[in-house]
Amino acid sequence: MNQTPPTETSADDLQTAGDAAPPSGGPAADSRWLHRLSLLSVLLVWPLIWVGGLVTTYDAGMAVPDWPGTYGYNLFLYPLSTWLYGPFDLFIEHGHRLLGAVVGLVAIGMVVAAVVERSRRWVRWLTVGILLAVISQGVLGGIRVLLGDRTFAMIHGCFGPLVFALCCIAAVVTSRTWWQRRRAVSATPKPLANWVVVVAVLPVLLSYLQLVLGAQLRHVQPATTPRTFTLIVAVHIVTACVLWLLTPILFVLVRRCGDLTLSRPAGWLILFVGTQILLGTGSWIVNYGWPSVLDFLPFGEGFLVRSKGFLDSIIVTAHVAVGSLILATSAVVLVQTLRQKYLVAHESN
Amino acid sequence: MRRARFLLPIFALAAFCGCDVPVEQYPANQLHALVVATSRHVPTEVAAQDSAAVVEAWFGTPIRPRWPVDQMSGAAAKQLVDPDHLMRAAGRVYSDQQNRHFGLFNEHCVTCHGVAGGGDGPASLLQNPYPRDFRAGVFKWKSTHRSSKPTRHDLTTILQHGVPGTGMPSFASLSTEDLQALVDYVIYLSVRGEFERGLISQAVDTLGYEIERPDPEASLTTLLDPTGDSPAESSDAMQVARQLLDQICGEWVDATAEVIEVPAETPDDAESVRRGRELFHGQIANCVGCHGPGGNAEVATLDYDDWTKEFTTRLAITPSDREAVKPFRQAGALRPRQIHPRKLSDGVYRGGGDGDTLYRRIVGGIAGTPMPSQIIAQQATATGLSQAQVWDLVHYLHSLSGVHSLSEDQVEQ
Repeated sequence: MNQTPPTETSADDLQTAGDAAPPSGGPAADSRWLHRLSLLSVLLVWPLIWVGGLVTTYDAGMAVPDWPGTYGYNLFLYPLSTWLYGPFDLFIEHGHRLLGAVVGLVAIGMVVAAVVERSRRWVRWLTVGILLAVISQGVLGGIRVLLGDRTFAMIHGCFGPLVFALCCIAAVVTSRTWWQRRRAVSATPKPLANWVVVVAVLPVLLSYLQLVLGAQLRHVQPATTPRTFTLIVAVHIVTACVLWLLTPILFVLVRRCGDLTLSRPAGWLILFVGTQILLGTGSWIVNYGWPSVLDFLPFGEGFLVRSKGFLDSIIVTAHVAVGSLILATSAVVLVQTLRQKYLVAHESN
Repeated sequence: MRRARFLLPIFALAAFCGCDVPVEQYPANQLHALVVATSRHVPTEVAAQDSAAVVEAWFGTPIRPRWPVDQMSGAAAKQLVDPDHLMRAAGRVYSDQQNRHFGLFNEHCVTCHGVAGGGDGPASLLQNPYPRDFRAGVFKWKSTHRSSKPTRHDLTTILQHGVPGTGMPSFASLSTEDLQALVDYVIYLSVRGEFERGLISQAVDTLGYEIERPDPEASLTTLLDPTGDSPAESSDAMQVARQLLDQICGEWVDATAEVIEVPAETPDDAESVRRGRELFHGQIANCVGCHGPGGNAEVATLDYDDWTKEFTTRLAITPSDREAVKPFRQAGALRPRQIHPRKLSDGVYRGGGDGDTLYRRIVGGIAGTPMPSQIIAQQATATGLSQAQVWDLVHYLHSLSGVHSLSEDQVEQ
């Protein structure tokens, strides 16, 4: 099953080893459906993260007590009217499950497209990895419901952004621009230094650390001590600042190579992290009130926290969703940096 | 077994992150035990241990809370809270197809107020002011006299309106049933917490607990096994415990009779505002002493709330003395933090800013804080205010925050 015919293996190896040399017709044309499905997965998973974030914001994770069904019904056969006109908690929890199922179908489609279109071997494995990740994410959500365990809700929340990042990587590596980089590399005024890769790895690690820390705060256990909670908050804030300082450095470094496919996402990263810091501050304010450190601002006095207000919930959920966006963008920058390094090495050889 | 192996990394990760083990017991009030030990110079470990056991036997656990009607003598006390509401507010968070939410306290309150309502939840240290510790039975925002308990209406109002300028949210979006369940649970936690505190104190002061248990007649352990040989029903320990519970519940039952009456409002005119201004800056009310000229809060003060004073100044410990405070912090106290008088010129009143509420605030003061109550007389005296003078103060306060139609300049003229 796993063995590949000798002729195909050699073709694969050629493609894998020499990503810079597309076969006739170009993989971009050959992987058209895989690329389209990858884009679709990106467009579905980010809203899925939003809806999942809303589920946690509204404490609706246990609005449906069973899994994989919904109140005894098959997931897809739950009455539409009860879903749409029932309680809001049920609406978003069941909607989250339905959207997750659609993502699962798209992930299956990606694997099929990768095999049918004879994509590069590692891309095929990437699609298989995405499918497994989507299935695992669904199972984690199911375990969270069946055990009624908030820790699994936290793990479920931490794993979702990884799935999103993988989908984004799939969309990038199957795109036309992935192959058109050759021309850009030929005109590169200055190749990237090795340590730029290290600088590109750091945002990925730090943004994921931030996601884990944020999940710890969001799914905090009642028995967590105030000191532990305070420590997590402090590390979360410091790491956010470090990450934001790192992003302009990364932007300047990758911009030197003159490749827009690399410098553009690095530029977005600065914007995303800056926005995320504002959203994080907003999330704290709408959850715990106006912080003393912002007392110097005139409009904070008398701020009233509103439990589960609509705008407040959107701010908190946006903080979760933009966190995933930062991780995915960091991962894309890293992948593009590695690609750039690889192509330069290939050209010089 | 092999099939389950794929779950191992997940469980390992869960163990690393800290499993969501349901909190099966309310944390014991170690802080109060230490306060009693320090103030009486008596070890309180055994007293605290036995008290916690009795409290659990009578009041249940966070998963199965119970209202100890079998230990109460008053009919009104028995109906003070609805046991069904306790079950709705306690336990894990979930909801049903009818949108009935369960585990309401865990959903909305526990992150700040803590499992036992000790004001020591995970996020408490980062709040200013700290979340309320229900266990002392002292509440700031109420319509009753300073030393009285709040009414159910007071607690419901706070839940609905929130406390502006603090981390206490408005739960206006919750249904009446959910709010009443939370009110019941807050009363339950407060009675439970005050009973535990009282029992530790009584165990040392009345029952003779020291490094060891007293004789069986006075031992709290007899309350845990009423079917044993010990005459539990008539024991000293039982009498002390029941008397204490009746006293605490009685205060809650009597709260509605303790509401401060508000007389008809006097005319809210420039003359009233002028008189209020004089009273504010005068010797009798002397509001200016803390709130500053015109309520600008620009007065240097050094004071703490009663929850902090309990383990510091009342034990002759300086709140800023870190070493001396350290054992109390290890026992669960939050870092001592100064309390500052409110700035009155910005129109933010945490407990409500309408005329009746401000009238009651001036008369009753704010329990647990340095804001004192006032002696109200029919006629103004050298030491007390009349009802009309209190209204003058209310009108002046409203004028400070722009509620009144007259500006400060007009009042000056």
